Amino acid sequence: MDLMIKEKIKQVKKGDQSAFEDVVTFYQHKIYQHCYRMLGNAHEAEDIAQEAFIRAYTNIDSYDINRKFSTWLYRIATNLTIDRIRKRKPDYYLDAEVKGTDGLNMYSQLESDTILPEAEVENLELKSYIHHEISELPPKYRSIIILRYLEEFSLQEISDILDIPLGTVKTRIHRGREALRKKLRHV
Amino acid sequence: MNCDKEAIMLMHKYFDGDLTKSEEASLREHLEGCEACQKHFHELKRTITWVQSAEKVSAPEGFTSKVMDNLPREKRRISYIR
Repeated sequence: MDLMIKEKIKQVKKGDQSAFEDVVTFYQHKIYQHCYRMLGNAHEAEDIAQEAFIRAYTNIDSYDINRKFSTWLYRIATNLTIDRIRKRKPDYYLDAEVKGTDGLNMYSQLESDTILPEAEVENLELKSYIHHEISELPPKYRSIIILRYLEEFSLQEISDILDIPLGTVKTRIHRGREALRKKLRHV
Repeated sequence: MNCDKEAIMLMHKYFDGDLTKSEEASLREHLEGCEACQKHFHELKRTITWVQSAEKVSAPEGFTSKVMDNLPREKRRISYIR
């Protein structure tokens, strides 16, 4: 798959725009999911994921074909999400709270249609609670927790994606795990 | 072994796959005798399992074509003029 992507990128570099479509198709769900987890809501996630691909396309000349494309793409996406988080206006958080009830609505709809076993309902609630707690982590810990445990990158790959030393990645993943442990220990 | 400093630090090294054999042995020994650290270790393990169990989400329909529609126009090849 890496080879296929490499070939496509070579074509894009030569000016073949249509080759980029396969690259987007291949990475769309991964990048969207990453943005969704970083930002905590679907609307911003789509916005930023779109922007990430457009930036990748317009900056394709600066991409070194000998390096891993996914690392480069995740770096663009992560930087954009962190910029977006920094630029959020205080009133955004009110919206986020309202959006946070989406899960609840979905849950009540589900309940009226079909009867879910108790365990599954609890699981749904737990999942949305965990998602919420991850999205409350400071962005520098959040990005690493997401990349490590949800996208399964190695610590070295995370160091490449975020362009920070491996030692810093380790310190941050340690603090991120402790922060989450404290939030989730009483569940 | 000091719980707050040493044992917890070793736990994190364990989760990152960085423990040496002797560190692993001393962590195990400590955990056997220290209930507080056992609890801490299990909480961390559970946290990681929970995080990993988060649901997968997919990009919305039409995501790719939307990206393609918003790309800057391809540089047109200069057409041959007679």
